[in-house]
Amino acid sequence: MTTRRTLLAAAGAATAAVTIGGVAAQAAPIAAAIPVAGDPIAHLLRRATFGPTPATLAEAAKLGVSGWLDMQLSPEKIGDGQCDAVVARLPLAGASIATVRAKLPVHSYEAFKQLGRAGVARAAWSNRQLFESVAAFWANHLHVAAPSSGGWDSRADYDAQVIRKHTFGKFADMLKASLKHPAMLTYLDNRSSTKAHPNENYARELMELHTVGLVYSEADVQAAARLLTGHTVGKNGGYVYDASKHVAGAVTVLGRTFADETAFADFLARHPATAQRIATKLCVRFVADDAPASLVAKLAKVYLDNDTAIKPVLRALFTSPEFAASQGKKTRTPFEDLIATIRTLGLGPEKSGTKALDAIYNALVDIGNAPYRWGPPNGYPDVAPAWASPSVFLLKCNWHLNLAAGWYPAGLARPADLRKALVPTLPATYGALIDALATRLTGTKLPATHTAAVLSVAGKLPTSPLTSSDKSLAGNFPYLVALVLDSPTFQLR
Amino acid sequence: MKLPGCAEHVTLSRRSLLGAAALSGLAGAGVSTQLAWADPGYRGDTLVVLSLHGGFDGLSAIAPIGDTDYYKARPTIAVPKSQVIAGDGTFGLHPALAPLLPLWKGGKLAAVHAVGQANPTRSHFAAMDAMENAAPGTSIRSGWLDRMLGVTGATGPLAGVSLGAAMPNRLFAGPAPAVSMAAIDKFKLAGDSAKRPMAEALRQMYADAPPLLAGPAAAAGKALAVTASIPPANGANYPDTDLGAALRDVARLIKAKAGLVTAAVDCGDWDMHDALGTAVKGQRMYDNLADLALALAAFATDLGPAAMSSVTLLTISEFGRRVAENASHGADHGHGNAMLLLGGGVRGGKVYTEWPGLSPGALVAGDLAVTTDYRSVIGEVLQKRCGLGSLSDVFPGVKPSSFGLAAARG
Repeated sequence: MTTRRTLLAAAGAATAAVTIGGVAAQAAPIAAAIPVAGDPIAHLLRRATFGPTPATLAEAAKLGVSGWLDMQLSPEKIGDGQCDAVVARLPLAGASIATVRAKLPVHSYEAFKQLGRAGVARAAWSNRQLFESVAAFWANHLHVAAPSSGGWDSRADYDAQVIRKHTFGKFADMLKASLKHPAMLTYLDNRSSTKAHPNENYARELMELHTVGLVYSEADVQAAARLLTGHTVGKNGGYVYDASKHVAGAVTVLGRTFADETAFADFLARHPATAQRIATKLCVRFVADDAPASLVAKLAKVYLDNDTAIKPVLRALFTSPEFAASQGKKTRTPFEDLIATIRTLGLGPEKSGTKALDAIYNALVDIGNAPYRWGPPNGYPDVAPAWASPSVFLLKCNWHLNLAAGWYPAGLARPADLRKALVPTLPATYGALIDALATRLTGTKLPATHTAAVLSVAGKLPTSPLTSSDKSLAGNFPYLVALVLDSPTFQLR
Repeated sequence: MKLPGCAEHVTLSRRSLLGAAALSGLAGAGVSTQLAWADPGYRGDTLVVLSLHGGFDGLSAIAPIGDTDYYKARPTIAVPKSQVIAGDGTFGLHPALAPLLPLWKGGKLAAVHAVGQANPTRSHFAAMDAMENAAPGTSIRSGWLDRMLGVTGATGPLAGVSLGAAMPNRLFAGPAPAVSMAAIDKFKLAGDSAKRPMAEALRQMYADAPPLLAGPAAAAGKALAVTASIPPANGANYPDTDLGAALRDVARLIKAKAGLVTAAVDCGDWDMHDALGTAVKGQRMYDNLADLALALAAFATDLGPAAMSSVTLLTISEFGRRVAENASHGADHGHGNAMLLLGGGVRGGKVYTEWPGLSPGALVAGDLAVTTDYRSVIGEVLQKRCGLGSLSDVFPGVKPSSFGLAAARG
């Protein structure tokens, strides 16, 4: 039932054929002219993590695809000390409603702020990369904007108790948890929906965005809204069911009659249209903007056969021939670009405090892609055309140079000598230097014309000799790094 | 749905990632010192499209005070007759629109009521897609502003601009080049200098890239050469809101004669399922309308009558809101809506409509009926103010409205 159009609408993407800058984008293969590292391990890490590093590439090469998935699907067994230490500086990022209320004045945005910074830190520095990738997927699917008015005390708890708790669990459980969470009930107005005047906002998005898609009728929305009346938020900020505001009795939605909201949510989570939509969104996230129909069908079946459990679906996705054949079919979102830059340059968290994290978060605000910050309930768009703009391009180029040069943000841990860290042994020519640099940063050499373009800012040719006494290299090096990161090759995920 | 508001948008530190060191040296090769992009082929008004995402409540903004069913359906949130600030006994302006009163009385601001889309969807996302595509039932997938640009033939680097966000605006989806920018002053390339020509290196690297990647890079390069020369704003008194900042930049582009044919600006947070409220300060609709009115009034003042004689601004929204209020002093998703038009060529000071009434029998599933396709209103503007002939390439199958809501451009 789910059409491509529905999915795109739900994903907030530009309608099918978004075209930017004089070009029809939809049909154009993104990677037609761009080299991409053919290694299946590098492909897996570009998709299933927020960016490969030499250490993760070596580890995954040792484990193989299946072994790496086994390890990553058991995140509790993966040590994560460095990331934990940063997140510990953000104690409200996953705090309970009671804790936030005890620590903060009413309507403070501090918990939102800490949650957003935690989203950056975990993507950049967690060793549980698949877990974080999938948690981000679910947060975007059952999206509750942070910040958004009303959720000041509950949004952090929602992240911990709805999204992260069920990230590798069953979607049905996550959906039911979201349905009774104050953050969702507030964000989509169900908390003020009453018997006399039901509020339709949540009922509509629960079907359109969270589960079956645009298969409902307006009568279904009104019926579902009645079914959900009375599920609200109490004086202490917690979930309560207020029978006096509830429309009693069974309600018929989508052709089925339900006694209560739990039966309705269980039905929605296991509906074939939901399976199809979630499979499609997972493919758009991890495989290709244009989800392969064969894989969508396969994953939808795995999802239903496993009673909405997510792990078997992920395993099927990452070991499928469609995934293997999808190299070059995704581009990095701005968030992914920034985090992959941090990871490939080997930049670590600041020694103490969160000033650098604040700066990174604010750069993501400027480009429109800060964690959890998308305003509407459909979540960030996840296809290349939605981010293909001149401004986005320039902002990415600007942070590549700032991070490579160490200008801004200050305070991130850096290799003592970035050049030596990225290219330990100086080759004999500038061309060979860019080959080594690009291989280290992107997994592959750049095309010869791109290498020449990179070198033009240093006034060098690929054949220009390079010696250890070359005094211009140190000054030019950050610009060379930035241009390699600006290249079409690095835009591919 | 919740969208970032025009006014209450959180003011985080917007410190750019650009370090001070990176900001120097923007005068690299290829940066012209004067603007020479005015498209000689285009002689129409600059069309400014303001998208009021979330579902604007036209029944509050332009209240049908002569319709007794309005007061029956909205016992707590209807705008009382005694509070409207202008109108004709049938319709009245919401009091929060007071900053626009001089423009209304001066005949530069008009409203059109009971407008909307033929498609009855109440889904934000389906309705926004349809509103921006504006060609339902066809295989066309571009945005209607892209098609309008195509018809004008304008090709300058700043012919089509969206302001307020870095992301592409879907109204411009399509083959005509368009530039999105959060703000003119944030549209910069770090590190570019005569010594290290970064922009030229990027141009070379993207010359053979796939279109989806090459397009934005090329458009950025061309626009950079122009934006560096846009003079700063002149200190006009805009409100300190995202909308105020975006309209200030639109005015800068217009005054710089930078070849701007059409600009798009988003102003969200109209999805008032709750606390739409009564017509007093502190209530959501009142405050949002007040912010909107202040920004629009500042825009008109900044440009002045001479420049405004070649500008038409209009508002669109994916749908109106339910006629009956809900339990939260709000209104759920509805259908028919009101549009605002502002410009030197607008025949303002009145509400244009074929009013269907709000009696229960006149409603469509509880909502205001649509008697005028929003595209026909825009079509009238495109023909009279923007020099377009046939509308078929922009709005296939749509005839312009014949309200006479704008004077034909001389």
